Amino acid sequence: MKKILQISLGIVTAVGGFLEIGSVVTAVQAGASFNYQLLWAVLLGTICLIFLVEMSGRLAAVSKHTIVEATRERFGFPFFFIVMIGMTLVAFLVLVAELGGIGLSLQILTGIGFPWWAIPVSFLVWLLMWKGTFGLIENGASLLGLVTLSFVVAAVRLHPDWGSAAHGLLPTFPGARKASYWFVAVSILGASISPSLMYFYSSGAIEDEWDESYIPINRLTATLGMSLGGFLSMAVLVVAALVFHPRGIDVQKFEQASLLMTTALPKWGFTLFALSMLFACFGAALEISLAIAYFFAQGFGWNWSEDLAPSRDARFCLTYTIIILLGAVPLLFGVDPVKVTVMSMALTSATLPLAIVPFIFLMNDPIYLGKHRNGWLSNSVVLIIILLSFILAVISIPLELIGG
Amino acid sequence: MHVVRDVLDKKLLDHEDESMGRIDGLVMQIGKSSQPRITHIAVGGATLWARVHPTLGRIARRMAGKWGPKRREKVRIPWSRVRTVGRDVTLDVEAKHAGAIDWEIWIARHIVERIPGGGHEEPDDGD
Repeated sequence: MKKILQISLGIVTAVGGFLEIGSVVTAVQAGASFNYQLLWAVLLGTICLIFLVEMSGRLAAVSKHTIVEATRERFGFPFFFIVMIGMTLVAFLVLVAELGGIGLSLQILTGIGFPWWAIPVSFLVWLLMWKGTFGLIENGASLLGLVTLSFVVAAVRLHPDWGSAAHGLLPTFPGARKASYWFVAVSILGASISPSLMYFYSSGAIEDEWDESYIPINRLTATLGMSLGGFLSMAVLVVAALVFHPRGIDVQKFEQASLLMTTALPKWGFTLFALSMLFACFGAALEISLAIAYFFAQGFGWNWSEDLAPSRDARFCLTYTIIILLGAVPLLFGVDPVKVTVMSMALTSATLPLAIVPFIFLMNDPIYLGKHRNGWLSNSVVLIIILLSFILAVISIPLELIGG
Repeated sequence: MHVVRDVLDKKLLDHEDESMGRIDGLVMQIGKSSQPRITHIAVGGATLWARVHPTLGRIARRMAGKWGPKRREKVRIPWSRVRTVGRDVTLDVEAKHAGAIDWEIWIARHIVERIPGGGHEEPDDGD
């Protein structure tokens, strides 16, 4: 039973790391501009993520080392340093976006502008990490994140044309607005395949003390958790396609997106959207701040665990304290969280190879994985993802300039 | 054993399995007639950053002397104290006395413990 409950690690990783402001913004844009045509990008992102997350968990369960630790150990500090710069920059932007997402949700609920929420929200995120345990964060965020299931309810109530939705699961070439189409597709992939999500998950496996006996549970957790995340993103895209696309509304602002569910659920739609975004972004803010602190602690060999008193892993706790404090600053000055989100997704794509290439080496290393090394299927998938990551890296920045 | 593959950058654990950083560098002795051999493990920012660029190493060293625990000499642990080399490297020293976690202790005492709910680092550290 205890092992089955580990599924919450998958849910928190998915709701916090997958379905967050980035995925919602891109899914809404995709649905509003291109109807169901970009559902394939969500599906592709989800499949890649299932494999990568499963591998992150397997490496941790077998070797008791996270991806970050193994990267430093296997590739040495100079390479690790390059990954560190890329990862920190991107993760910090994502943190700003998520803290901003919480602020925007509170803004539409209360009418008080998001810059006012920057300090209280950051303080609350920090307090939960300072006082809470990993289990509390994991289970609390998973439970609250289930509010996002309301996206599915909204999608079903609008009676989508399932046939043409299924058609969207296969990639098609756009008729017009090519640059914009590919930009949104790249953003969807950038929003889904985020390295910090894998770093978080593999650290979570260590926090939850997984060993080799958890390999089947890990497979189940990765598959169900990421499928849930992908499924919810698809629901958002479908609702946006039904509500915004026929009216020709091009969603650029969070306030516009907040009307996503009012057609399907006139009474509760607005509140449910705000609460879903609030909880999803809150989970994501916790996850990304932890991922950054884990990254530094593991890379430099410091003590780290959410379950230790802060004085027992002082450098780890100081790292997330500083990061969260800094994350509030741009919001105080009124920097638009949606713009930060769009930028962070393009940058995630641009830095993806740095995080993904080490995978193929680590997952085939007998020292770390012994007989649990990757088989031909996983290796083929990683190679395809590496190829994809290089394509994304090359085209993301030019596309942002043209299509964004 | 391949020194760079199997030793460098590995996590260091003290005799109670407390983590005490990573092997940031190795000190070798090269004699005219004898085989080169590893004499010490080096831990700390100055050694580590010098591997990225010598200038970064010098900056790290200068900062280490001025800030925090103000340690001027580099932390070096004799190779003879190595107990096992596996996925991690275990030593028969105590982390606190080896100097490798000076910063951890300094930050705990000067910053973290002063924030409510920070907890307390154990008092019996003897330094």
